[in-house]
Amino acid sequence: MSEQKRTVSIHVPVLARVEGEGALDLRIDDGAITQLRLRIFEPPRFFEKFLEGRHYTEIPDMVARICGICPVAYQVTAAQALEQLFGVELDPWARAMRRVFYCGEWIQSHSLHIHLLAAPDFFDCSSAIELAKIAPDEVRRGLRIQALGNELMELFGARSVHPVGVRIGGFHGAPPLARIREIREKLRAALPEAEALIRWAASIHVSQDDQAFVSVAMRHPVDYAIERGLIGVSDGLRIEADAFDAHFAEQHQAHSTALFSSYHGEPYLVGPLARLNLNHDRLPEQVKALLAETGLVLPSRNLFHSLVARAVEILLALHEALCLLDAYRVPDSPWVPVSPRAGIATGCTEAPRGLLWHRYEMDDDGRVVNARIVPPTSQNQARIEEDLRLSLLNFGLDRPDDALRLHCEKVIRNYDPCISCATHFLRMNVERG
Amino acid sequence: MNKVRILGIGSPSGDDQAGWLVADALSAMGVDACIDRLDRPGANLIPLLEDTAWAILIDAMQSGSPIGDIRRFGTETWPAYSQGLSSHGLGVIDALSLARELGSLPSRIDLYGIEIGPVAPGTTAGDDIQAAARQLARHIAADLAASR
Repeated sequence: MSEQKRTVSIHVPVLARVEGEGALDLRIDDGAITQLRLRIFEPPRFFEKFLEGRHYTEIPDMVARICGICPVAYQVTAAQALEQLFGVELDPWARAMRRVFYCGEWIQSHSLHIHLLAAPDFFDCSSAIELAKIAPDEVRRGLRIQALGNELMELFGARSVHPVGVRIGGFHGAPPLARIREIREKLRAALPEAEALIRWAASIHVSQDDQAFVSVAMRHPVDYAIERGLIGVSDGLRIEADAFDAHFAEQHQAHSTALFSSYHGEPYLVGPLARLNLNHDRLPEQVKALLAETGLVLPSRNLFHSLVARAVEILLALHEALCLLDAYRVPDSPWVPVSPRAGIATGCTEAPRGLLWHRYEMDDDGRVVNARIVPPTSQNQARIEEDLRLSLLNFGLDRPDDALRLHCEKVIRNYDPCISCATHFLRMNVERG
Repeated sequence: MNKVRILGIGSPSGDDQAGWLVADALSAMGVDACIDRLDRPGANLIPLLEDTAWAILIDAMQSGSPIGDIRRFGTETWPAYSQGLSSHGLGVIDALSLARELGSLPSRIDLYGIEIGPVAPGTTAGDDIQAAARQLARHIAADLAASR
C-alpha cells in the first residue's frame, strides 16, 4: 500500500440539463475526504409556483411537464391526491388502467436507464454506443423493451412524452379492444425477453459494497406497490401519505438551493432497490422464482444491485399489465364526474426513481392555493452523498483522479437521478497539494 | 423494402420549428413518403428507422453560420457532433450512432441542418427560416423525384 498521501480536489462546476442543475465537489486531504457535496438545483420547485391559481382540470397536464421520462408518475400522483380530496370514487376500470399506464412508464424508464445509462459503466464503456459494440443483442433487446413501454404509455396517454390521457376522475378516453389485443400479444412476447434481461443483469459483475441504509417505499397489502399503498419504511413504520411531514423533513443546505430530505434526521433510499427490499414478497410467483434463481439476497445493502432491481421490476410490470389487460373491457365512460371542494389533498405513488409525494391546498372553486411536490431525486440526495463517501472509501482514495471521478459518476448514475444526463458531462479541476 | 421516411425534428418554439416546417411543406406537396414531425425523439428514433430504405432527417442547428443556412451531413461527420449519452438528452446524432452500431441504419440516410437563431417559446419561426424550409423541401422533393 502506498504511504504517499495527496490532496485531490475534484470540482464539477455545473451540470446543466433539462431536469436539473447539479455539481459535485470532492476534496481529499492527506488520504481523508474533507469535503463531499452533491449540489442539485431541482426545477420542480418552480412548478409548485406555476400551479398556484390553476384550475384542477389543468393540473394533470401541467405536472406531466415536470419530467420527460416519468410524466405518468406526476400525473397519477396529482390526480389521485385530488380525487381523494374531492371524494371521487374511480370506476374499477380507470383504477386498473392507471396501474397499466404506470407499468408502461416503469418499463420504458427502467429499460432506458439499464441499457443507456447504467450498464455501460459496468462494462467499462463510456456510452451505450460503445456497449452496443460488445453487447449488441442486449442493447437491441433493451430498446425493444423500452419501445414497448412507450407504446403502453401512448395507448392511454396519446403520446409517451408528456402524455395527455389522464383527467381527474379517470381518463379522457378508452382504447378500443382491438388495440388492447394487439398490445397484449406484444406484452406476452416480451416476457421471455424480460426474463433474459434479469439473468443478464444478475450476471453483470458489480463492486461488492455493504452499506447500512433506510429503505423507503410504498407498501400494499396484496400488490407490489406502484400507484397505491401506505408509505413503508424498512424499520417497520407504515403511514398514510398525509402523515409524511410527521416523519420526513425537507431542509435547505448551505451548499445547495435544492432541498435535502431526511427520515427522522437521517438520509434514506427511495427507488427500485428500496422497493425490492421492502416488497419482494409481493412479487408474482414467476418473478419470485426467477429472482431466487439469480441468487440475489434481499434485503440488499449493495446499491449496485439497483440495476438488477430495475430488471426485476420490468418483468413485474409486464406481468401486471398483461394480467390487468386480460380482463379489459371498454367502459361506458372512461371518467366519472367530479365536483371540487376546498381542502388539503395529499398523495404519493412510486415513480420509476422512487417515492413521489404531492400536497395541494385547494379552494372552493377547485383552484390551487399552494402546492408542494417532493420528487425522488431530492429525497435521494443526502443518501447519494452518504453513498459516495462510503463507496469512495471502499473503492480506495489513492486511486488515480480519473478513476475517482468515474467511480463518483457510476455511484450517482446508479440512483438514476434526474441529473443523470448531466453527470455524463462531468468536468473536473484537479488540484494537488 | 423501398420505404422512404422523412422525419422533421423540432419543437413549437420559434425557429426550432425548422424541421417541422420542412415536413409540413413536403406533406403539402404530396410527396410519396412516410412523413413525421418529431419532438426530441431520443432512442425512439431507432425503431423508426427500421424497415426503411431511405431516411431523410431535418433538424435545427446552431453552428455559428448565417441564419437560414442549410447543411447536409454525411455519416462520416456525425461523431464530431456527438454530445454523449444521457437519459434526458439523447440527441439525434447519438441515436443515429447507436443505430449504426446495431446495424439498424437505412441504406441511405440524409441528415439536413437548418441554421437557426436564438429560440423563444411561443414565437413563430423567422422569415429566414420559413424561406429556408421551403427551399429545402423543394430540394428534397426533387431528390425524391429523381430517384423514382
